[in-house]
Amino acid sequence: MNNVQTAEYVLNAIRSAGADKGECTASDSVKTEVYYESGKISMLRSVFNTNVSVKLIKDGKKGRVGLNSTDPEKLDKAVANAIEASADAIPDPEDDVAELTENADFVRGELTPDREGMYNALRAFVDTVKAEYPSISFDSISVEHNLRESTYLNTNGVRFTSRRGGYQFSVMFMAKDGDKTSSFIAGGAEFDDINKPLIDHGMVRRLLEEGVRQVETRVIEGKLEGGEVILSPTCVAEMIAYVQGNFISDGVLMDGTSLWKDSLGAEVAAPCFTWKECPCSPELAGGYSLTGDGYAVKDMPVIEKGVLKNFTLSRYGAAKTGLSRSANYGGCPIVDAGDTALEDMISSTESGIIMNRFSGGSPGANGDITGVAKNSFLIEKGRVTDALSEVMISGNLAAMLKDIVEISRERVNDGSSILPWIKVRNVVISGK
Amino acid sequence: MLKDHLRKYVGAGFSEYTELRAQSNTTRRVTLLNGNMINNDSSESAGFSARVRVNGAYGFSSGSDYTPDSIERIIAAARENAVFLDSRERMGKPPFAKVPPMSSPLRYTTEDTASQKRLIEFISELDAYIAAKYPKLLSRVVIANCLDMEKLLVTSDDVHSHSDIPRSHVMVQMTLMGNDGTPVDLFTPFGGMGVFDDQFTTPDALYEKIDALYEKVAAKAEGVYAEPGYKEVILHSDLAGILAHEAVGHTVEADFVLSGSVAGPSFGKQVASEKVTLVDFANTAFGKTCPQPIYVDDEGTPAEDAVIIKDGILSGYMHNKESAEKLGFKPQGNARAFLFSDEPLIRMRNTCILPGKDKLEDMIASIDDGYYFIDTGNGQADATGEFMFGVNFGYEIKNGKIARPLRDTTIAGVAFEVLKTVDMLSDELTWGSSGMCGKKQPMPVGMGGPAVKLKINVGGR
Repeated sequence: MNNVQTAEYVLNAIRSAGADKGECTASDSVKTEVYYESGKISMLRSVFNTNVSVKLIKDGKKGRVGLNSTDPEKLDKAVANAIEASADAIPDPEDDVAELTENADFVRGELTPDREGMYNALRAFVDTVKAEYPSISFDSISVEHNLRESTYLNTNGVRFTSRRGGYQFSVMFMAKDGDKTSSFIAGGAEFDDINKPLIDHGMVRRLLEEGVRQVETRVIEGKLEGGEVILSPTCVAEMIAYVQGNFISDGVLMDGTSLWKDSLGAEVAAPCFTWKECPCSPELAGGYSLTGDGYAVKDMPVIEKGVLKNFTLSRYGAAKTGLSRSANYGGCPIVDAGDTALEDMISSTESGIIMNRFSGGSPGANGDITGVAKNSFLIEKGRVTDALSEVMISGNLAAMLKDIVEISRERVNDGSSILPWIKVRNVVISGK
Repeated sequence: MLKDHLRKYVGAGFSEYTELRAQSNTTRRVTLLNGNMINNDSSESAGFSARVRVNGAYGFSSGSDYTPDSIERIIAAARENAVFLDSRERMGKPPFAKVPPMSSPLRYTTEDTASQKRLIEFISELDAYIAAKYPKLLSRVVIANCLDMEKLLVTSDDVHSHSDIPRSHVMVQMTLMGNDGTPVDLFTPFGGMGVFDDQFTTPDALYEKIDALYEKVAAKAEGVYAEPGYKEVILHSDLAGILAHEAVGHTVEADFVLSGSVAGPSFGKQVASEKVTLVDFANTAFGKTCPQPIYVDDEGTPAEDAVIIKDGILSGYMHNKESAEKLGFKPQGNARAFLFSDEPLIRMRNTCILPGKDKLEDMIASIDDGYYFIDTGNGQADATGEFMFGVNFGYEIKNGKIARPLRDTTIAGVAFEVLKTVDMLSDELTWGSSGMCGKKQPMPVGMGGPAVKLKINVGGR
């Protein structure tokens, strides 16, 4: 069976089993990967998979089962297991499936893997880096193409099909000088054109250039007084993911622990900060068309000029909180460019750091965040000076958004986000 | 139970080095958030894979249709991938040294008899207990989580292995309003290796531990922030495992060593206090089965303990066949894959700092101004040996006595510098069994150790 036939088979089985409501997503996927490790292009991988997820509701109680087979016998068993699980579940009036709006078929991205092109791109990248940045040593490099064809059906008549393909590139490396080594540095991108050199995607070239200056590092003593932190686009992406998890997603809004639960329409960030979630953007190869719970997505603002405009709430989360379901559930952030050149952001920094990676514990419920500033440089009197090691930063996510001082004109598009550099004050920076 | 369609390939005489692996990962998860059942899920990800090595180039392919006909097709696809890569890279490497034919039987055979109903009723009763006894909680989350990984492996060396490693956990998170008007939370897993009924009897058996968790989160709500800086601290035995894993374990995985980790030039050198011995146990430690018992790895290598640090000297790495050959070591069974569609990577199994002879109370009494860190969150490692992990709860130590409770913080240091500061190790050992390590693929791991006294960089305000 293809994925449409599988989803139809499961939906019929759900109805036959006496469920009141149900939904099924059936998908076929093919992954092609060229992988570099331990000094060589070591593996070519092709992965064929099928996934079927079944959710049903009977007497107000839900059961959900996942499997990766289209064997009718196994599909019947999965539906029977979901019925059995629902029988013992706790009734929940907010459990439901998506309502019918407008059915659609979506096609997005490069659907056909170019295996030769992937190999050539990786070989060219390795050779270019060896020639231009000889002190760089790779830990691993992956070039993938993923194709996923899926069908979503539910008992309200919702029917979506989606064909989505595209390339992903990820690299982890370090710089070496004799026995000395830099920290791991990670980069990557999502894209549709395998002919564009990998080194030109996202922040990759910049990370390589900075990496070679990170073998020698400086340890600062005590606190860096008056410290300001310039977050790189990679760091901004991490902080946005933390903000989403801690303040605007289902779990923290349902249990009431989000600091922003009553802040829709209120100022939660500096007025210069505008963050949109744009899975439909043609600029983002990593965008998507459908939510997991059966809705076509639209782009939306999350924070506009510092004011909280939207949460990222699923249908269930919205029903539980009495709020509106979000137009999408995040994962494709675009932050508006500021009006300051990165160079000027650095030159106006008397004392601080520019941070490319945050290695820290997950933030607590109150947004407190502490961790190590990785791949980072000291800024002294407006100049980037030494690479740093063993420097920790400590602050609070909510406070950091209000303490944004400047946003760069320059932005980086890595295929899943378009983000600038952001300068934040009042972060504790401490050394040994 | 997986059907053994692979056995017929034992003695099949593959023309190239080949691994065939069938695998089924089954998961079950029930989650209650403030009494709302947000998950009532079960899933199975099953299929098989082939990995073929031609002159040093690996070809890999996998499919979910685990039938005798498909196996031939996937072997051919894997071989074709290897041939393609070999034709481009021309590595010209010789085959691996053969291992003797062997058969490793299924050792864990207990059937998972706990129904979804049992999981639901168990955590519902726990949730009701928490809700009734602790009404001040802002939020409570109770989760039952079971993962079972069953594998069948056949290699061109005529190794045949069948393994099954289940693990079952109940996890509880509590959130309270802190003394500064912001929420604080704590999360604790209970359980370990085995099916649900191996680990859990009745919910009331956990009440005492639930009460202890509430006492900690209540203390944390009144807690203070750690002072940042280089401090003398004691890591509770629950944290020593993550120290072994993050600080040392990742640094000595041979793929990291080959790419340039700081452990390369440190081999044979003093990298820790002579009190420190660190072992990645294969399957059995101190006479008991470890949280992730590996008898044969996913390359068909018989698993044995890997001694990483012996009396403070860096004595070994963790290997797959490729790295062992390159660096001149014997592989010890660290090549593991998470899903049927994943290739084996060098992974830790049960990484443990061996206990010492000190008493925890003497360790606390020996510190004038420092910290006792008790609960941990996530952690990360680095090529430089610099590591970090989150600390979610602990206490100040003032003049040899436990003082005020602490809010969240992070500790960080350079592994081989921090380990040289270890001057006391407690005589007790705790295994953590709920760890999930991330490195291209997720992987369940065991982590263990005693309470450790050392000096480390503390993040704070």
